[in-house]
Amino acid sequence: MAPQDISKLIVRTSMKDRAAFDLLYRQTSAKLFGVCLRVLKDRGDAEEALQEVFVKIWTKADRFAVSDLSPISWLVAVARNHAIDRIRARRSPSANIDVALDVADPTPGPEAMAVAGGEADRIHHCLDELEQDRAAAVRGAYLSGESYAELAERFKVPLNTMRTWLRRSLLKLRECLER
Amino acid sequence: MTLAEDNGPERGGDDLLAAEYVLGVLPADERQIASRRIDTETAFARLVDAWEVHFAPMAAAYAAVEPPASVKVAIDRRLFASTSSTSPAPGGGLWASLAFWRGLAAAAIAALAVYVALPYVNPPVQPPGSRLVASLAADNSNVKYLAVYDAARHEVGLSLVSGDHGAGKDFELWMIEGKNAPVSMGVIPAGQTARMAVAPAVQQKLAQGAVLAVSLEPSGGSPTGQPTGPVVAAGDLKGI
Repeated sequence: MAPQDISKLIVRTSMKDRAAFDLLYRQTSAKLFGVCLRVLKDRGDAEEALQEVFVKIWTKADRFAVSDLSPISWLVAVARNHAIDRIRARRSPSANIDVALDVADPTPGPEAMAVAGGEADRIHHCLDELEQDRAAAVRGAYLSGESYAELAERFKVPLNTMRTWLRRSLLKLRECLER
Repeated sequence: MTLAEDNGPERGGDDLLAAEYVLGVLPADERQIASRRIDTETAFARLVDAWEVHFAPMAAAYAAVEPPASVKVAIDRRLFASTSSTSPAPGGGLWASLAFWRGLAAAAIAALAVYVALPYVNPPVQPPGSRLVASLAADNSNVKYLAVYDAARHEVGLSLVSGDHGAGKDFELWMIEGKNAPVSMGVIPAGQTARMAVAPAVQQKLAQGAVLAVSLEPSGGSPTGQPTGPVVAAGDLKGI
């Protein structure tokens, strides 16, 4: 489904059009479930998160109109932010790594690549300018919703060092993106 | 550059915080504070939006996974449990019939208004009279719109019930008050439904129950500031 069609469905959803909401769910729920699973690493948790994400989409669809994001990016942002809020609210990270490996596919499918198109080159190019482990930290944080604490553990550095690293990386990214 | 600088109150500090928020690395408490600032500070919300745009291409790496059917059932139960049996979606036949529209009695319009307004009435608490509804139609055309004016949000919601403007043309919405010249409220965005912001000068007149009209105009809207094409639909705003 073309981005402008998804846009229309979001706008119609903001007008409380249930048929549009149902179609929007059919078209986008698999992608958003993929986001929830990757971040939460637990099927039951991700199913509950997906429910809450679509309740949010129904009630806050009007916000899409004032955002600069493409429709699918806006939906992904709603899902990602909700899943990350949810995992931060958890006491300790899930130990169920097997499930995570099952669903975490880091290679975008051909369709996703085609959709991403030219704009995508920019962020990937700028990430490539970072040192390899720093770029990995940024990608890991974005895709899996890793916290500073989890990154520090993974890269075996103190928490503050991790934060300094990542903030420096973000500054470099900004400088590259604005070039 | 030092971290102390980055943490400062200037753009750099907020911009980095926005990036950290979007990336998702912040601990729960800092994330909550940032989230509240998004809701209350437009400038900060823009920084967050810009980083969402920058990072969005990375989301191509999320693999799509079909959720179980039980999820949608649960969503519908949460959102529509109380109304699902009473509001069937309008279909083609009856709604497209001119005789049906001509025969619409005031009671039917009121029922329609309730149907359209129902989803709006539930969540936000509205002072009475802050929503007006109009059924827009005309004898010589098949174009029909349903319009709901939300005084609290200063916007008109439009739902195209039937008709279309054809290639190279646009529908433009007008407010007509008494014998005064029509005031343009803008070209109606394409699609089955649309929302249009209402200018302050028009808001008060709408609240007093002006007439809404839709005219057929060249693409991009009337070049003169007054309707140049036929009025294809019109109707009074009524309180609900």
